[in-house]
Amino acid sequence: MLKINNLHASIEGKQILKGINLEVKAGEIHAIMGPNGSGKSTLASVLAGREEYEVDGGTVDYLGKNLFDLAPEERAREGIFLAFQYPVEIPGVSTTNFLKTAVNQVREARGLKAMDAVSFLKEMKEKMKLVDIDQALLSRSLNEGFSGGEKKRNEIFQMAMLEPKLSILDETDSGLDIDALKIVADGVNKLRSADTASIVVTHYQRLLDYIVPDFVHVLYQGRIVKSGDKTLAYELEEKGYDWIKEEVAAI
Amino acid sequence: MSEVLSIEQTISEQFQQWIGQHFADESPLKALKTGALEQFSAMGLPAPKSEAYKYTPISRILGKQFNFAAEMTPANFSKADCQSHFYQAEDANHLVFINGLFTEEYSSIVSPSSDLTIRVLDDQALTEHSDIQRLLGKTSHIESDAFALLNLAYFNQGLYLKASKNKDNKDTFIYHFVDGTADASIVYPRILVSSETGSRLNIFEKTIIRGEQNTLSVSIFEADVQPNAELRYTKIQNFLTSTYAVEGIYATQGKDSRFYTNTFSFKAALIRNNIYINVDAENCEAHMNGLYQLGGKSHVDNNTSVDHLKPNCFSNELYKGILDENSRGVFNGKIYVRPEAQKTNAFQSNNNILLSDTATVNTKPQLEIWADDVKCSHGCTTGQLDEEAIFYLRSRGINKKRAKALMLNAFANETLQEVKNDLVTAEIEDIITNKLG
Repeated sequence: MLKINNLHASIEGKQILKGINLEVKAGEIHAIMGPNGSGKSTLASVLAGREEYEVDGGTVDYLGKNLFDLAPEERAREGIFLAFQYPVEIPGVSTTNFLKTAVNQVREARGLKAMDAVSFLKEMKEKMKLVDIDQALLSRSLNEGFSGGEKKRNEIFQMAMLEPKLSILDETDSGLDIDALKIVADGVNKLRSADTASIVVTHYQRLLDYIVPDFVHVLYQGRIVKSGDKTLAYELEEKGYDWIKEEVAAI
Repeated sequence: MSEVLSIEQTISEQFQQWIGQHFADESPLKALKTGALEQFSAMGLPAPKSEAYKYTPISRILGKQFNFAAEMTPANFSKADCQSHFYQAEDANHLVFINGLFTEEYSSIVSPSSDLTIRVLDDQALTEHSDIQRLLGKTSHIESDAFALLNLAYFNQGLYLKASKNKDNKDTFIYHFVDGTADASIVYPRILVSSETGSRLNIFEKTIIRGEQNTLSVSIFEADVQPNAELRYTKIQNFLTSTYAVEGIYATQGKDSRFYTNTFSFKAALIRNNIYINVDAENCEAHMNGLYQLGGKSHVDNNTSVDHLKPNCFSNELYKGILDENSRGVFNGKIYVRPEAQKTNAFQSNNNILLSDTATVNTKPQLEIWADDVKCSHGCTTGQLDEEAIFYLRSRGINKKRAKALMLNAFANETLQEVKNDLVTAEIEDIITNKLG
């Protein structure tokens, strides 16, 4: 599904990603872990198309297409979804109204008819159950005044509505208590299928108790320095990141 | 060498001739108008360094385009022509002005005269209605602006509206048709509203201009909002790039009354809106909302004042600007809280979004508070569209143009809340959306 080859990226002239190689196949969940400042969020941003980042080299192939040929909205329509670390508050735009616009633009791009109000509401009600989100919240301005947990649940709710092929969760666990974390993870798990894949970016292992990854990669200084299965996450939890840093320094 | 006349001298000479042609010697209006012209001559048009017109050098701009001596040519609007512009509202009053003259035979009136008096402001009306004698040209602070005086001197066939005591009136639409086929035409529409105790009236106004030559409208809306009355006045200023407009709204409020102004400015060469609300009794509410969404070289200057003279009143002002290309927005909001006006709540905010590097905003809140037990606040912001928010919307599959439109519509919509008419709201929403491309 996704093939990242020797990806280099920078922001404001500062090099952040220094040669990322990663392949994600349908049905897989990949966890990207690493200490602060290692480039985890940059990777998520570059994949979603955030314009402040400059791609300096390498390629990303997504479903046979050059990802960098696609604008952010085109990536979304092709099935990429980024759950934001800090979801943006947009005053005056209700989640419902915004999502209706989004869903219909995505449907249009996929050659489907726009959803009418009734079927949209029905669809919404179904997906709301997934993340235990309240109707009242969705009629309010997008994310405005939402608690941290509400914002993250809203992200997963949007993901459920947009039915992406590749979801990228950027530090979705940050700022969540354990109950909220379970709800969010539960939503993600229910959306799992053999045709979809996820990249879960996280600093801590605890999210991975609930969203169990097939692969764990450690990102450090802009490179993937170690890959393994979920046991690598436990190892990191136990030992911290210092031994990785030492290993890298030794090379 | 011939002497070059100043604008004021030209106006003065032209006036003597004009008044003689239109008003008989014994006309009470003639006396009023002659007095107004004298006051105007003494005051003159705003000087280049005038504080009130700081960002809008109006006399220079108008002096270049208009000689003020041009007599309005007869307009060629037919009745069917005018009525084709009416809102699709049958149970409503539709009032037509042509070149500043209220034209009753083109209008469509459903309100019985016992609910709503609709009259041409002429000598006869002045004699019959003591209300008019009491109010016409006498609203507080109306005499402090040269253009208001100019309108008083020059208006002809203005409109008098009286909402009768305790009557809840039908929506009233006012259409200004202006002939812009001859160069440098000037029109002077005038509307006087008397909202009697306990009455309600909702007035909407728009302008239709034919012809692309320069036109100037110097208009006045003056209102007496009596105890417990509610008056709303909404205007759409979606003119042509050849239009100049100086529009004044002056109101005095009685006890427990509510007054709302909603001003939506979209296009013009130049618009100057002067609003002065005298909150002259207890428990009043005054609301001023405005939106200016501009492109090209449009220049819109909103100069507003709310004057709290008595205790326990509330005023709220919200102006928003979306400025693209080389447009310029000016906002000056004054709040006066006089010594007697304890327990005043007065709020003001002005928010602007600049869509281009060459658009300009000048915003100036001005609070003068003499009472000590009041709650007043003001705030102004000027910025660009939030790029992070646009990326967020795009990352959900919404294209860039649509994402911007969503955000700007949301930004603008707050100013529509007090319009209270679906047809007008829909029209404004359409203009906003279409302007966003």
